[in-house]
Amino acid sequence: MTETVTVRVQRYRPEEDQEPWAQSFEVPYSEDLSILDALNQIKDQQDPTLSHRWSCRMAICGSCGVMINGEPRLACKTFLRDYRGKDALEVRALDNFPIERDLVSDISGFIDHLETVQPWLIRSDEQPVSAGAYRQTPEQMQRYAAFSQCINCGLCYAACPQFGRDPAFLGPAALTLAQRYNLDSRDEGASQRMNWLNAEAGVWSCTFVGYCSQVCPKDVDPAAAINQGKVASDINYAVNLFNILRGKDDA
Amino acid sequence: MNAGDAPDIRALQADIVIVGGGGAGLRAAIAAAEANPQLDILLLSKVYPMRSHTVAAEGGCAGVIQLHDSLDAHFDDTVSGGDWLCDQDVVDYFVHHATEENLRLEHWGCPWSRKADGSINVRAFGGMKIERTWFAADKTGFHILHTLFQTSLKYPSIRRCDEYFCTDLLLEDGACAGVQAIDMRNGTHTLIAASAVILATGGAARVYRYNTNGGIVTGDGMALAYRQGVALRDMEFVQYHPTGLPGSGILITEAARGEGGVLTNSDGYRYLQDYGLGPETPLGEACNKYMELGPRDRLSQAFWHEAKAGRALATSRGEAVNLDLRHLGEARINERLPFIRDLARTYVNVDAVHEPIPVRPTAHYTMGGIQTDRHTATALPGLFAVGECASVGLHGANRLGSNSLAELSVFGRVAGEQAAARASQGPAVDPRRLLARAQDNAAGWESLREARGGEHLATIRDEMARAMEDGAGIFRLPGQMQQTCAKIAELKGRYRELGLVDRSRVFNTEWLNAIELGNLLDVAEAMAHAALARKESRGSHQRIEDFPERDDAQFLRHSLVYRAADTPRLDWQDVVITRSQPAERHYGAAGQQESKP
Amino acid sequence: MRKPYVQRQRADWWLRNPAYRRYMLREATALPLLFYTLLLMSGLYQFTRGEAAFLGWLELLRNPWLLALHGVALAAALFHAVTWIALVPKILVIDTDRLRVSPTVVKRLHQVGAVVCNVGLLLLVLLLVGGGR
Ligand SMILES: Cc1cc2nc3c(=O)[nH]c(=O)nc-3n(C[C@H](O)[C@H](O)[C@H](O)COP(=O)(O)OP(=O)(O)OC[C@H]3O[C@@H](n4cnc5c(N)ncnc54)[C@H](O)[C@@H]3O)c2cc1C
Ligand code: SF4
Ligand code: FES
Repeated sequence: MTETVTVRVQRYRPEEDQEPWAQSFEVPYSEDLSILDALNQIKDQQDPTLSHRWSCRMAICGSCGVMINGEPRLACKTFLRDYRGKDALEVRALDNFPIERDLVSDISGFIDHLETVQPWLIRSDEQPVSAGAYRQTPEQMQRYAAFSQCINCGLCYAACPQFGRDPAFLGPAALTLAQRYNLDSRDEGASQRMNWLNAEAGVWSCTFVGYCSQVCPKDVDPAAAINQGKVASDINYAVNLFNILRGKDDA
Repeated sequence: MNAGDAPDIRALQADIVIVGGGGAGLRAAIAAAEANPQLDILLLSKVYPMRSHTVAAEGGCAGVIQLHDSLDAHFDDTVSGGDWLCDQDVVDYFVHHATEENLRLEHWGCPWSRKADGSINVRAFGGMKIERTWFAADKTGFHILHTLFQTSLKYPSIRRCDEYFCTDLLLEDGACAGVQAIDMRNGTHTLIAASAVILATGGAARVYRYNTNGGIVTGDGMALAYRQGVALRDMEFVQYHPTGLPGSGILITEAARGEGGVLTNSDGYRYLQDYGLGPETPLGEACNKYMELGPRDRLSQAFWHEAKAGRALATSRGEAVNLDLRHLGEARINERLPFIRDLARTYVNVDAVHEPIPVRPTAHYTMGGIQTDRHTATALPGLFAVGECASVGLHGANRLGSNSLAELSVFGRVAGEQAAARASQGPAVDPRRLLARAQDNAAGWESLREARGGEHLATIRDEMARAMEDGAGIFRLPGQMQQTCAKIAELKGRYRELGLVDRSRVFNTEWLNAIELGNLLDVAEAMAHAALARKESRGSHQRIEDFPERDDAQFLRHSLVYRAADTPRLDWQDVVITRSQPAERHYGAAGQQESKP
Repeated sequence: MRKPYVQRQRADWWLRNPAYRRYMLREATALPLLFYTLLLMSGLYQFTRGEAAFLGWLELLRNPWLLALHGVALAAALFHAVTWIALVPKILVIDTDRLRVSPTVVKRLHQVGAVVCNVGLLLLVLLLVGGGR
């Protein structure tokens, strides 16, 4: 007889249900089966009405974020073997987002936040392509390298109690993205982005819980990015104050 | 909507609709926005753009940059790599613009890997004689895609419809006049009228069982065009990537070999030297076009022979050979191939620093696609196609790794500009005139959602994938090819008897998967029939039993597949040859001989 | 039709995950420190009210409960300092083309700074107490 594992999957069918509920499925155990594989097996063989997002199945497209035993994780990078011997394996939609259906979250608010922070290279003098590449040494690249690895999976938003309290908070990934460009030696847009960092929903809404960095599947360390943003915001404030005191309040 | 009524349709209007938010679609959107800021551009995608499968490309993106390299050399490598089935005017245009596009991405923020002095670094790639592959560590596609997505946010004229699933092209007076899509959040059928439509829906390797592609890569755009009478071209050419992980098919980039990784069989022997790719290169010194850096089709074929001779390793996930990176050392692996180390550790539990990674060939890339001219225009006025879903004539019978990412930018820009030119001239399309047609279409999709037949979605999908592997895989054997064609026809019949369970309108993925399966079956049909018709061996299309040789007299031509009632109709189109006459493809020492004057 | 289910944050969210509990513990270190500040201020107040009041306050300090609370406040302050200094190198990144300070150095500087300040304060107090005699 093959060993099976019980997976409790959260269901929410907007046309029928008032609130989410849990459904149990038995899945044959195998060493290299990911939670995503398990969900796909359930959908193929047991209940085709189960809805979840996925695509790359190699932890790079950012589609498959879910709560697994209460922790935000990528379903395709989490394996049944990690839960062997635990008495329960429970899969839910990501915390802090509205649930569209089953494991599918409505992440449109998060995507809006990403778009808010002007995440593109801003230059005062756009050079023509014929002038060649901007020079950037490996050391300069290193300064923002980690912050550019974000796959927009939203796990850090599910991990962030501040975002849970107030969905207007720009949140870890968006603030990290701003910092990614601010630290890029080719970029000159930091002062424009400061409007977002300094705002009510910006870096100062972060109380440094730090769980976002723990759950990030790509080692982006958003908590570090945000708190570097606070330092930058402080300096910006001090500089402005200084300028105002000197009577240069155009700053 | 009440039962029996015509389905409700939401009507939108735009100047240009782009279907697909991958590298090709985003580049086209930006180009169109820059060409004419007055145009209203709508980018529609069944996933948020950064989920598109461009994100998974690891290795790199071609563009001549070194002083000792030349556009001619890039041209020659591309044309010979494609076994002379490339349209040479297209290749010329491509090599002339690839570097410029890579630089543009750099100016938009793409973090290309650098040399110590801050200039662009390039790496070796299979089939390229000189290093000209730009890379961003081993996440090149990821960085390109995110750079393009983020840059696209700059342009207020680009609107997006994320998680809209395109189901039909809408025609008026013999021209493409818009598209129809399902809003996945609520199941609403939406029609979008536009005087120019660009398809950028990506490849179709999900027709195979073992493949490197994401679940969304289902050939939708190809099927959409095919159904409107547009030809699919060169569909028999499907590239197998020699190094995917057994089981999942997850890609281990060619850059692993470019950096000096070697392939060994169960005897620990570097078997590629037995297949015309030798002599053996020193360990850790990758040499362009030799051994592990021979073209992909040759490497995949060598695996097939080794496995047949019993020299493959048996793993719990099927047969494999070893990809050995150990001699590169931990520091270099971490710098150049960090993602590969992570993938191997996660998905096959192997630390590449200490153990070889088991790999096997898996279906990877569709060289063929929607037939376009060199300006990305299809035969249907108003319809353009670009990226992996299109056949612009660049890749011929075998694509060189890193040419396809460059293709996204080079021809994405062309498509955007062409569409902008058309939309700027033409009168706007009135959505009301498309309504009746859209309602008919929607009624069809609604009846699929309600389908109560006895056939099972996953079963048909799996049978198709297995049949394609058997009859349209690395080697195509006559009996099996016939069987595959018959099998696909049978499955298309059974598809009509599909039964679905999910009746919801909200994020009904069973319904959408069923639509995708219909698309996959159309694409599989075109591939299998084109393969049967091409009675020669060329590039990735190898018929070792019945037609082992290339036959330029008859088949130096593109195949064209048109949809027809029963079996598809085949036709042929001449290849554009400007300056490189067909010759033998030589790699390894033989290639060296040939390139001497 | 669409009907997204809005998940409300539960009042006990911080109990439901070890990471949140650790965070709350770090935040809670503020409480013993608050207590300690209040205590000092009350001492100052008694001091202004004359010698008897101040001696009474000093007597109060010998209460074993208060001694224990002092221990807790010290532990809390140390815990906060250690965890804070461990995070500093991530936040205070000094890495520009002109000046680069490695994260370990940033951390060491903070540690040294903390020790110097504390020892300095201690010496100052001892000096004052000694001088007072
Ligand atoms: C694992 C892997 C590694 C690769 N590595 C390299 C490499 O190193 N170098 C290289 O040059 N090439 C590489 N390639 C090939 C290259 O990445 C692809 O050919 C290219 O990214 C395809 O881009 P695209 O824009 O055409 O399509 P995609 O990026 O696949 O995007 C398709 C878009 O169309 C949308 N879409 C599809 N159907 C519908 C529909 N019905 N309705 C609405 N939207 C739809 C999708 O949502 C998506 O946004 C690799 C490919 C793979 C799979
Ligand atoms: S920062 Fe990490 S957890 Fe947050 S969205 Fe990006 S990759 Fe996901
Ligand atoms: S499926 Fe792409 S990240 Fe999991």
